[in-house]
Amino acid sequence: MADDIKILVVDDEPVVIKSCKRILEAEGYNIDGASGGREAIIAMEQKPYDFVITDLKMPEVDGITLIKWIKKSRPETGVLIITGYPSQETIKDALELGIIDYVPKPFTPVVLMDVVARAIEWKQKSVPAEAKKKEEEFPPSMMAELDRMISSYRDKPGSLIPVLQRAQEIVGYLPPIVQKRISKGLNIPAAEVHGVVSFYSFFTMQPRGDHIIKVCLGTACYVKGIDEVLDKIKENLHIGVGEITEDRKFSLEAVRCLGACGLAPVMVIDHDTHSAVTPKKVMQIIDEYRTVGAKA
Amino acid sequence: MGRFRANLMVCAGSGCVATKSLKVKEAFEKELKKRGLENEIDVVLTGCNGFCAQGPIITVHPDEIFYEKIQVEDVPYLVEEHFVKGRPVEKFMYKEPTGKLTIPSMHEIPFFKHQVLRVLRNKGIIDPEKIEDYITRDGYLASAKAVTEMTPREIIEVVKDSGIRGRGGAGFPTGVKWESCARMVSDRKYMCCNGDEGDPGAFMDRSIMEADPHAVIEGMIIGAKAIGASKGYIYVRAEYPLAVHRLQLAIDAATEAGLLGKNILDSGFDFDLEIYQGAGAFVCGESTALMFSIEGRRGMPRLTPPRSTESGLWGKPTVLNNVETLAAIPQIILNGADWFKSLGTEKSTGTKVFSLTGAINNTGLVEVPMGMTIRQIIYDIGGGVPGARRGRKFKAVQMGGPSGGCIPESLIDTPVTFEDIQKTGAIMGSGGMVFMDNTNCMVGMAKFFLEFTTDESCGKCPPCRVGTKIMLDKLNDLAEGRGKEGDIEILEELSYDIIEGSLCGLGQSAPNPVLTTIQYFRDEYESHIKDKWCKVGVCRKLTTFFINEKVCTGCGACMRACPSKAIIGEKKKPHRIIQEVCIQCRTCYDTCRFKSIIIGPADYKGDPMALLEE
Repeated sequence: MADDIKILVVDDEPVVIKSCKRILEAEGYNIDGASGGREAIIAMEQKPYDFVITDLKMPEVDGITLIKWIKKSRPETGVLIITGYPSQETIKDALELGIIDYVPKPFTPVVLMDVVARAIEWKQKSVPAEAKKKEEEFPPSMMAELDRMISSYRDKPGSLIPVLQRAQEIVGYLPPIVQKRISKGLNIPAAEVHGVVSFYSFFTMQPRGDHIIKVCLGTACYVKGIDEVLDKIKENLHIGVGEITEDRKFSLEAVRCLGACGLAPVMVIDHDTHSAVTPKKVMQIIDEYRTVGAKA
Repeated sequence: MGRFRANLMVCAGSGCVATKSLKVKEAFEKELKKRGLENEIDVVLTGCNGFCAQGPIITVHPDEIFYEKIQVEDVPYLVEEHFVKGRPVEKFMYKEPTGKLTIPSMHEIPFFKHQVLRVLRNKGIIDPEKIEDYITRDGYLASAKAVTEMTPREIIEVVKDSGIRGRGGAGFPTGVKWESCARMVSDRKYMCCNGDEGDPGAFMDRSIMEADPHAVIEGMIIGAKAIGASKGYIYVRAEYPLAVHRLQLAIDAATEAGLLGKNILDSGFDFDLEIYQGAGAFVCGESTALMFSIEGRRGMPRLTPPRSTESGLWGKPTVLNNVETLAAIPQIILNGADWFKSLGTEKSTGTKVFSLTGAINNTGLVEVPMGMTIRQIIYDIGGGVPGARRGRKFKAVQMGGPSGGCIPESLIDTPVTFEDIQKTGAIMGSGGMVFMDNTNCMVGMAKFFLEFTTDESCGKCPPCRVGTKIMLDKLNDLAEGRGKEGDIEILEELSYDIIEGSLCGLGQSAPNPVLTTIQYFRDEYESHIKDKWCKVGVCRKLTTFFINEKVCTGCGACMRACPSKAIIGEKKKPHRIIQEVCIQCRTCYDTCRFKSIIIGPADYKGDPMALLEE
């Protein structure tokens, strides 16, 4: 397994590259060397590496610049640093850029082997998480639609709320990346956008399920026992209000009066209103949606 | 309407749509076509009929036969009997809840008989999605008159003289509001409509917007002319998609017809109207917060003065009126102030729309003259409290939503006017009436509303933000048996602090539900604290359930209903509750038809029969 792993060692001192090569190749890793930031970038443009071990202080293109480039252009590559100056400042800068770990210089073979082994383990563990994160990324077409919508509102005063409503329709929810795009597009500070998103209950920063269950907590529904219905749903779907089931089928929301008090207690799933819901009936109603695909 | 021999009106309010009235309409069309009657019977979708609990509702004109709870499978039979054989079908008609009397004609049904329809005059008669229907009912005559013949001064005089007060809750005279805005000099003014109906248990505005959207628009045109506004917004909750849809259709149709937009009816008067969808924040019903929201900001109220009529939306003079107020305006202009004043009392003129919900037989929307008593509304229109045979009685009515209060049975003869309701400690509010019977716990009610206001407080004023939370914690303590002597006084004291220290109506009125329930139901609070006893069995931790062995018939209904299988007993012999298993859910109490369940205080070990004597 170790020979699948390709590592690039970057240092302006050839002796460091040489010793790393000797230690890590003995462990079965594939090691290449580069004598500076520029050389490293050239090497990485030619073939992919799993890890880069780099010095920070180098003439011309230094370590920090290299890490920035890696994070932008080769985000899948893990970064480790070797530094003879493990001062708070430099390490802090590097950590902020998202390195995995560092090797203090001078180092013994054991330390180097340990750090690399840990890094590999960490990366393998974090892969599923990363993959999940990718899923949350949005297709370019969706982002283009979002941008088109934002720009159509650009010159209208007071358009933030309608834009957020439309954005939520397009994306399904309002994660930070969407809020930032809106902030940029409308030229409104991101803090203000977030302030509005968090103020109104209509907006959500959590992804929503294929089906949205809205339970009315209005007075009439309360008088007619909606709380027991709500408890039943929570118990059966194992989620609380504002949460989403693990299979992403359902999300549960509590709303203030749907204005259909004559039908109390009321529950709305997607666009269908269900009237006179009882704890007995409720799961049967919800189960009917299980087999139905996501709403259009 | 002329060439059809009958019109079949299918209610398409949110309530009936939810009970599948649109499918019923399709079924009627199919069935009529099958029998070759499609050119004789016209099927029309109408706005909310108001009698929501009986939906889907069908009325047949011109005979005004009222059918309730019509399902798709009933349609062929109904068409066969009523339209082919000419025999109205009794089994689908309304039946009196008390007697077995069947009432075929809509106007004979008590729910409708006592109503006076002014604002709701078009409900169930016109198709809200067709401007022609509205125009045949004298629609846009008033706005045409206002725009082409009247001066702003004249309009304001008529409205002032009519005495109409804001239907949103506070009851500020509409004419005075318009006058103060008209007086302002500005390059731009705004006319806004508040459709952010947030009170839980109220749906008057939704119904009006859905059933008669043009009336709201016409009212806004008249208001705009009076104050000199050229731009208007209708702020509607995003929870009301059907209202938004119908208003948009109405705006488009009115603009197309030249009744709205640039140079209305060649008079040179411009008025553009736009819908703005709220995003779910109760506080946005407050006028300054609503305007911040339209500006795209957090809807947090600001200090007044300056009033919105001086400096409102984007700093310009702005009038904000409630949906119902605006829908009433066109008829005031057409029929005059005296006509409007002919109903109601001296200080509360005209009619008011109420939504009746909760423990009442006839749930729905009603319009009655101001000054009718609560008793008349409950018993004459609402048909009383359900379950009378099981001992259910009227206990209180909650008016004014989270800002209002509970009016107890002892004040049942209070006339419903702005002044009289205020005297009870409640407020008129927007017209939501939630009825409670003797199975509702008043501490629980207060807690429910406090939960609402705690959640909806915008967070600007600490007395409201923090105070409501502390009050809620106290009420939770009470409901869970941690109440202490002196808690009631702390609740009262906190209430007054919150009222004094809050900027807007939300905070100033948030303690009302607590204050009124303490005022009228202090004994309930005390029994929660001293006896650890919730006498109606709502607060689970303060109850023990017993079966009255003298009354129990051993029918087994409670045994079957009990979710934790805590009830045992042989058939036809008195049953027993195993206390260790009982989870105090009250299901047995709700199920028993013989009033044999006794509710005792927490961990009661004594003789349950002794509780009955208390």
